[in-house]
Order: sequence, then C-alpha cells, then structure tokens
Amino acid sequence: MMAAAPNSAAATASRPKAVAICGAPNVGKSTFFNRLTGLHQKVANYPGITVERRIGTLALPSGETVDLIDLPGIVGLHPRSEDERVAVEVLEGGGQNRKPEAVILVLDSTNLEAQLRLVPGILKFGVPVLVVLNMADDLAARGGTVDTDAISRQVGAPVIEVSARLGTGMESVREFLEGSLAPPPPVQLPVLNSIPAERGWARSVVRQTGYHPPEPSRWGRRLDSVFLHPVAGPLIFLGVVIAVFQSIFTLAVPLMDGVESLIASSGGWLGASLPDSMLKGLLVDGIWGGVGAVVVFLPQILILFLFIGILEDSGYLARAAAIADRSMRAVGLEGRSFIPLLSAYACAIPAIMAARTVENQRDRLATLFIAPLTTCSARLPVYALLIAAFIPDEPLLGPVLGLRAAVMLGLYVLGFAVACATAWVLKSTVLKSTPAPFMLQLPPYRWPTIRSLSLRLLDRSKIFLRRAGTVILLTTVILWFLASVPYVDGQPPEIGDSLAGSIGKAVEPLVEPLGLNWKVGIGLITSLAAREVIVGTLGTIYGMESDEASPALQQALRSDLSFGSAIALLMYFAFAMQCMSTVAIVRRETGGWKWPILQFGYMLALAYVTGYAAYRIFG
Amino acid sequence: MKILVDLEPGRTAVVDELLFDSADAVRLMELGFIPGSSVSCQRRVPFGDLAVYQLDGAQIALRRETAERIRVRPQVARGGG
Repeated sequence: MMAAAPNSAAATASRPKAVAICGAPNVGKSTFFNRLTGLHQKVANYPGITVERRIGTLALPSGETVDLIDLPGIVGLHPRSEDERVAVEVLEGGGQNRKPEAVILVLDSTNLEAQLRLVPGILKFGVPVLVVLNMADDLAARGGTVDTDAISRQVGAPVIEVSARLGTGMESVREFLEGSLAPPPPVQLPVLNSIPAERGWARSVVRQTGYHPPEPSRWGRRLDSVFLHPVAGPLIFLGVVIAVFQSIFTLAVPLMDGVESLIASSGGWLGASLPDSMLKGLLVDGIWGGVGAVVVFLPQILILFLFIGILEDSGYLARAAAIADRSMRAVGLEGRSFIPLLSAYACAIPAIMAARTVENQRDRLATLFIAPLTTCSARLPVYALLIAAFIPDEPLLGPVLGLRAAVMLGLYVLGFAVACATAWVLKSTVLKSTPAPFMLQLPPYRWPTIRSLSLRLLDRSKIFLRRAGTVILLTTVILWFLASVPYVDGQPPEIGDSLAGSIGKAVEPLVEPLGLNWKVGIGLITSLAAREVIVGTLGTIYGMESDEASPALQQALRSDLSFGSAIALLMYFAFAMQCMSTVAIVRRETGGWKWPILQFGYMLALAYVTGYAAYRIFG
Repeated sequence: MKILVDLEPGRTAVVDELLFDSADAVRLMELGFIPGSSVSCQRRVPFGDLAVYQLDGAQIALRRETAERIRVRPQVARGGG
C-alpha cells in the first residue's frame, strides 16, 4: 500500500496533487525545494495558524501540476516546538490541513545511519514516500558510497541519490511525482517503538546494504578550531558584525543613489507631464515623495539580508550562537531564546511566533516581551535616514569602520542590551523559572548557493515592496488628504494650516520635551502603524512644503531639527513599539490584552525617557 | 569518569544513562545521545560553559548543567574502537 504510485491516489481530482517535503534540519531540504520549484513558489500561512509555509508549483511533462509543500525541519516525530508540531500535523492530515498525497523525505547521505531512523515513522503515514539521499556530491567527494537499490529493497520505498546543490539526480524526482518510478516490492517493517530501536534498525539497514560512510570532513574540524578558538573565535565574531554594518553603508550607497535618482527623475517626469490638478499633487508629492522615500532603503535591507543569509546557510550562525550563549545565560534566558531573538533582527512578528519553540511558558513570555526591542529591519530606513542626515561621514577606525556604521552598530547593540536587561529584570522577578536543558545542533559547514541566496533576497524584496505598496501607500494617501484640506479661498492650505498640521500641532506639546516639532509629531502618529512609515510621512510633508518633485529629505531635516532632537528621535525609534502588527500578534500569542498593553507602555516610557535625556545631553 | 561533563576534549566515552524526564530524554536521543552509543568531546566553546560533542551523525553543543546529567562509561577497547 505504501509503495503505490502517487497518482493512483486521487487520479480524478482536478486540484493539483499536494506533495510534502520533509526531513531533519540542515539536510538541504530548502535547496532541494528551490531546485525543484525555482521561482514558482510562494510563502503562505498554514490554515488556522501563522507558521509560514512555502508552497511551490511544479508542472510535470505530462501537463499535470503538483503543489510542493516545504515543511519545517523535524528532528523526529516527537514534536517539541510549534514548528515541528505543524510538520507532523500536515503529514497526519490533522487540523485543517489536507493530507498530502505523497511525501518526499530528504536525508543527508553523508550521515545515513542517523538519518534513516526517520524512514519507518514517515512510511507509517500510509502515503507513497520517495526517499531522497541528498548531498551525493559531498558523499562522493569524501569517498563514501551508497547502494540506493539495496536500501530501497530494505525499506520498501523508492530511494534515489541527488545533489540538490548541483541539480543532479532530480529527473527521478519528477518520475516519482508522475508516478512512473517503479516502486520496490512492499516490505513489512518491524514495529519500532523507541528511538534506540529505530536507530538499531537504521544501523542494520546501513550495514546490510554496504553503505560506506564518507571520511570525516577535515574542513569542518579546521573551521571549528578557528571559529570556536578562545581568542580568534570572538574576534572573528566581532569582525563579521562590523563588516556587515560597514557594508550597509559603503556597499549600499551607490545602489541607493541609483534608486533615488530613478525615483526622482520619474517623479519629475510625472510632474512635468501631468496637468496641474489635485491628482498630480497626490501622485507627485504624496505617493512619489512618500512611498519613494521608503523604497530608497531597499538596497540596505537586501545587503543586511544577504549577509544574514550567507551566515546562516554556511553554518556559521550556529557557531556564533554558541559563542553568544553566555550572554543569553547571564540574563537568565534559555539558549533557545537566542534563535527567536536573531530572527527579530528581520522582524519582531516571526520572532514572536518563533518564541513558540521555547517550551517553558515563562521563558516564552520573556522572549516575546523583549523581541520588539531588538532592531528590526523596519527601523533600518529610519536610522539610515537620520544617521545620513546628522552624523558626518568620517572614518572612526581608519578604513575599517566609519562613524556612521559605528553609530548604526551602536543602535543595534543598544537595542540588544536593553532587550537583555529587560529579560534579566523579568526573569529575576515575575517570570522566574528553572532552566530547560540546552541543546544546540552545529550543522556541517556548507557553501551557500547563489540560487538559495537570490531566492531569499527576492522574497525579502517582495515583503518590503508589498508593505510599501499597502501600509505605507495607504497612510501616505490618507496623510496627503489630511494635509490638503481644508481649502482656503479655493486653494490647498499651507501644510501648517491643514487638518494634518492641526493634529501635529495638537501633539506638539507632547513631543517638544524631546526637541521635536509638529511635523515629526505627525510622523510619530502615522508611524504607529509601522516604523518606516515616518520616512514616507516626512517625505510627503517636506515634499509638499518644497516645490521640488524630489525633496532633499536629509537637507530638509537638517535645517528643521537640531542634532540633539535627531538623537532623541533615534532613541524614540529604538524603543517605542511603533508597530500595530506586533501589538496584534502579542495579543494573539498571549491570549489577552495584558501583555501587549504592558509591553506598549513599557516601551513608550523607555522611548520617552531616553529621548528626553538625549535631547538634554546633546542639545 | 561518570558524567559527560568530565570528558576531556579529544576523549571518547559511551553514553550510559540520561537523567532527564522523558520529553527531554527523547529529544537528546533524537539528537544522537542514545545509551550505548559513543560520544566524544570535541572542544569547549570560549566564553562560558558550552562544550561541543561529536556523536555518530551530529555535532551538538551542550551547557555544563545538561552534560552533568548525562552518565557515561569508559569505552571498552575493541578492535578498531
């Protein structure tokens, strides 16, 4: 039954067949998925919950299409984290999931004994399974061999060898999906009810089929002895971090100039070719000025994610996590909190959801409480704008580290430090608990592939541009209307006399202690929706004030704010919870308003006090 | 030598017993800490109390207090072992 061809299952169904791809973490599952689907993939949520899933469509030569689902990595079928629970639930067809018609189990062929253990459990789901032994290139290069036919006869399911990195062996995957891959005769597998029994079974299969494990990778040992060296290790860690931040400025600047001039010239062209009307004002001042001001920061965000991608795909990030473990421990958090906090550098929302991997309820609360304090990528445009406007472009440590990069790095460190301090306070008072055992898997080092990195960047660009096209566009349009009414003598008002202006002036007394004016006040209100909205808002406000199509936003800010006010604004954005999506997700994850309200109040107080202090100190 | 934390870098022993509740023990076994299998200490991580252990098929870093709760026994010298 388990070896039946996949298309016999639901031959009459008109909807595409669903095939799940599963496997342990770090076996090249995503590379395999990317290799199969290329650009034909999208990220969606699992039904009912918000763990992201990746679905790809594959057109087979027969004309049939298949939906491929890339499941989160599973260490075993005893899920401990929400991620793993989702993977197992999809395989079972539980919850609101539709049970896949077939499963592709990806294993690391260089480490077969430990990996084969998963096979009996996956076969038990009763759908056709293809066992893919990935990393064939690595296995061969290190002198290992595997007899896929012999293993196939032992497990009673087709087994193939591929290198997802190089794209070899992938034809057989398509044959399997088409149902033309002849399955071996079914086999009655022994009942395995414990992990040692599963492992014993795997060992016997590996031995009986004459598997030659590869020579241990000498590179891995060598790299570890450098990256985890008592002196060199931490220094390299520091060097890597500095390089990332320096390149956000040096590498990204020419690209940003390109994007900026593109937006400015297209805005200028639009302004010249349209007749004077309200629509023109909305398009040129509102949308081009507002959305354009945010889109300029795409290159910087992509460079940050390119680096994170390289660090993660190469296996270095796990070593960095090992080195950073001590600081996590010092604040009373368990090591697994480190991973959600790392993803908070992209966005607090996935981080708060990833906090589900933290089993201890109190640790989980502490983790999701501090996650929005780490510097998410929505802060990057705000920081970059203010730093470029107010911090001189001077070297600090020769050519290695410039002053601007150092300030940016300082803001990241500040966010992290305050997050840790907050965790420490929470963990030593209201959220005290006993620590859970900490196990950190160090994956083998691998070369990141261009393919995976570019897909990652493409994904990031889509997310960023979608936000620019929705949240930022919407707030910009609303703001533009508020700034264009009421008409005075049939003419649009000066922005200070508009409805938006009066709202800004109403909150001005509140932001004045931070050295901020009513224009920034408007920005603080609009950016409650999302932090980077303030860049668009300021772009619109200063753009409507000036007659130019492209407002030189940095110059406008410099002439309107003092250095101390700029630092106060940086502090405000470092700490305030200017993100409604985060508030909403915390409410949902904690099941009530108590935690989000506490968090919002705490962060606002922090923002206000540090902003006030900064303005007092820097004038 | 009775517990994993006492294993010096470069030395190998055999996992004997996991002194954890069942959920934690299951995860440790899934990662390769199976009673009867061999484990070697590869290195200690600078700053702090992590050590990296090499198992058959995985490289896992454990904190001191976790390694204290894994009992090990010396490896019996066998041909090639």
